[in-house]
Amino acid sequence: MSTQATTPDRLTKAVMNLPRRDARDKLQGRTRYTVDDTDAGLLHAAFRRAEIASGRILRIDTIAARAMPGVKAIATAEDAPGLHGIGIADHPLFADEVVRYHGEPLAVVAATTLDQARAAAAAIEVEIEPLPACLTMEQSLAADAPLIHPDWQSYEILKDGAARGGNVAWEATVVRGDTDAAFARDDVTIVEGTYQVGRQSHVPFEPRAVVADYEDGRFHIRTSTQVPWTVRHVTAKVLGVAESRVRVTVPAVGGGFGLKFDCSLEPFAAILARKTGRRVSLVNSRREEQMTCLSRENADILIRSAVTADGRILGREATVLMDCGAYGGEQVFLTTMTAHTLGGNYRLESVRLSSRAVYTNTPPNGAFRACNGVYNTFALERHTDEICAAIGMDPMEFRRRNVVGDGDLGATGQVFEGDVLRPMLDLALTKHGPHDGRTHTDDGRLYGRATTVGTWFIFVGPSAATVNLNADGSATLVTSGVEIGSGTMVQSLPQIVAANLGLHPDDVIVKTADTDASGRDLGVGGGRTTVSIGAASEAACEEVRQKLLRVAAQMLQTSEEQLVLKDGRVEIVGRPGSGTSIQTVIAQAEADIGPISGSGAFTAPGIPAMPGCAAGHFIDAIDIPVFAVHDCELAVDPDTGAVEILSYRVVQDVGRALNPRAVHSQIQGGVTQGIGYALHEDITINAQGAFDQAGFSDYRIPTALDTLPIDFHLYEGAPSCGPLGTKGAGEVPILNVGATIACALARATGQAANQLPLTAPRVMALMDGAGPDLRFPHISRRWSDNTIAFRD
Amino acid sequence: MTISLTINGDPLEYSGDPRRTLLSVLRNDLRLTGAKEVCGEGFCGACTVHVDGAPKVACLIPMGTLSGRSITTIEGLGAPDMLNAVQQAFVDHDVVQCGMCFPGMVLSMSHFLAETPHPTRDEIKRAMTGNLCRCTGYERIVDALASIAPAQEALS
Ligand code: FES
Ligand code: FES
Repeated sequence: MSTQATTPDRLTKAVMNLPRRDARDKLQGRTRYTVDDTDAGLLHAAFRRAEIASGRILRIDTIAARAMPGVKAIATAEDAPGLHGIGIADHPLFADEVVRYHGEPLAVVAATTLDQARAAAAAIEVEIEPLPACLTMEQSLAADAPLIHPDWQSYEILKDGAARGGNVAWEATVVRGDTDAAFARDDVTIVEGTYQVGRQSHVPFEPRAVVADYEDGRFHIRTSTQVPWTVRHVTAKVLGVAESRVRVTVPAVGGGFGLKFDCSLEPFAAILARKTGRRVSLVNSRREEQMTCLSRENADILIRSAVTADGRILGREATVLMDCGAYGGEQVFLTTMTAHTLGGNYRLESVRLSSRAVYTNTPPNGAFRACNGVYNTFALERHTDEICAAIGMDPMEFRRRNVVGDGDLGATGQVFEGDVLRPMLDLALTKHGPHDGRTHTDDGRLYGRATTVGTWFIFVGPSAATVNLNADGSATLVTSGVEIGSGTMVQSLPQIVAANLGLHPDDVIVKTADTDASGRDLGVGGGRTTVSIGAASEAACEEVRQKLLRVAAQMLQTSEEQLVLKDGRVEIVGRPGSGTSIQTVIAQAEADIGPISGSGAFTAPGIPAMPGCAAGHFIDAIDIPVFAVHDCELAVDPDTGAVEILSYRVVQDVGRALNPRAVHSQIQGGVTQGIGYALHEDITINAQGAFDQAGFSDYRIPTALDTLPIDFHLYEGAPSCGPLGTKGAGEVPILNVGATIACALARATGQAANQLPLTAPRVMALMDGAGPDLRFPHISRRWSDNTIAFRD
Repeated sequence: MTISLTINGDPLEYSGDPRRTLLSVLRNDLRLTGAKEVCGEGFCGACTVHVDGAPKVACLIPMGTLSGRSITTIEGLGAPDMLNAVQQAFVDHDVVQCGMCFPGMVLSMSHFLAETPHPTRDEIKRAMTGNLCRCTGYERIVDALASIAPAQEALS
């Protein structure tokens, strides 16, 4: 089949501003999210959580609690002895013998009402002997630090090849070229910078929530998740049952942003459903949701660079410490992404990176929209501006000279394809004009502007799709995708299927995840849904198309090559009206070969790194890089430290935009979350190891007055293996917001804005010369000291 | 003590704990789940309902204070096949994402536009600060609302 030849036509057909089909119900309050399952007969569950950061469990006595009104079952560590995790199985479902973080589940109670469940949970008798706690990475990495996982060596390894040890859960390193030689040269300027970020909480409006049932000897889990197959796998693993005993379905999800990219409450509810034989609902209260949020992690970063007078980066060494909290979780995987973000953007002649997930006695962290890319880009772009200041080069000029282009090497030695970042920078410059050297606004505030670049990736990987062609001429797409709000399931996927089959997207029914019906999938996140599920859907359509055309060719006495699918009809090329309706062909097919359906699959084989230069990495290179250029103007009030964003402009590499209006929505929403991250979403951890911010009153997400209309340009045509040349567009808008705001603020104030968030008090302190202490005694200036693998 | 009120035009005789919130009764007893419990402390506006025509956050209203009141929830706004001007503008401008904030947003903004038929962009944004949204970044919602006033003028 000449897929190639038909691409431009399919593309034209696929691009449209299709409105969302789920909008009406959402606007009328009819959509039932997992939290809206309040039916009679449902049992309600509540946790008893630890209120200490580190301790030995001496006694958990549930006898009195069991006798309380309405209580149907109580589960503890005895009910789920297994360990799970990413890369290493280090995570028990319930705290077992020891408590490793404030908020860790000790027990969960199912009762007739939620109030009864909470009362019984509070009545469980708990005795815990306090143990010393490491609340910061500096404490965890101290020579005499207590081990948070004394048995770390005995854990099952799920992915080989990483250095681990002590309180270092995982270490990923990159060594390419000879940085020692680069730093030893006498014609280089050595620039060193340290950077620090706090955690960011997702605050999805629907918290993590699940309703579990035990039917015919199997678990049925309805849950608010991005990863139905992970939920299936982890639930089975910790319960010690076969995976085929678990079915996961997903109603509309009320926001995810990566928080729901891991199994969370599901196994607890499943255990209670099995114990009671009843449907059990388990929903995090807002306080629990916030206090145990799998946040974007806090991080401490050191970067050193050896740069020539004409701006060549001969050597770069960096250490990134990522706080994974009490268990490794997603951070173990994310150590990989330092290479492609902090190690990205620019051509490096030699590079050494150490990226470490460090255990602390704090709530575990997770994935959040563009993950560590967000703060690695912040650190890298601030460092880049510090380099420019040190060698006296214009920051735009430095970036234009150094951004990776066609044939350039990435940190792990991957060869980039196509010039993308430089033309994007040039476009931004033409569109937005050069920086004009202004220092103050008309009303006397400090003015700053910055332009930054960023690199992120599309997390490809396996997806499956089935397309059933129905007798009425409609098509049903069955995948494990879920609609988390971004619109992929209601916009780009039906657009792709419709374009491939010559239908209108309204005639494409999209079924959301049901692991009993849809094929395996990695989940909705990492910008992969349009790309991976989209590609699998195209492959399924191709099978449908071939079957359909074979039957039609017989009917119309012509060859398949002469036929096209268009507007619900099969037509002979160049002779509109000569063919027949798709329903007629389907009816004929039912008689000849049976109903028409097709299945498709996708995975990206993975681009190799340069042999031997990356260790502890989950992927060697990035299959689909995504680039972004951001530009921000801001004003700082010198009396209060308040920051006002005056303009914010984005040039985003989208491959191809199938639904430009929906991409605009993602940019507006993503940049706004980034503004919150940069300026006022602050999480602090107190002496008990708990967050000081427990809800909306003290964790301040942006309101309508904290944002502004984001100017944007969708940059099309960069290479992508995604269907129709697409790349995911929803994750990346947040990527360089922290970077751009910090760089602009540094220029406005003349101070090193090297810590996020830049709350007004922190900005005041910076301007008063009382900025944070970022000397980082726990990070050595000798790079190899910050590794297990290369330490001598 | 029994409290008499109406919910979406239907009478309700409530004889439970007067300290329970209206939101809990709507969601758990009446299974009217359009009003969302998001923050539970009056900050986010996702639980907004109309009490005697004015928007109020249902998570902070004890049932005991509602005697004789008339409550309209998102389910009671218009008819199933009829969107009001705010809902229609949100559909036309494709501004919905996860949707959790929108029932509250619709009720707040419908009331605001009825009171302020020709708002400036700034007035819209100020009126919206009681309704938080984590997904959209607001501005496209403001665009949708700003389109309503002129459109209505053109129609009349
Ligand atoms: S739930 Fe009532 S204001 Fe947030
Ligand atoms: S659309 Fe998700 S919170 Fe507003």
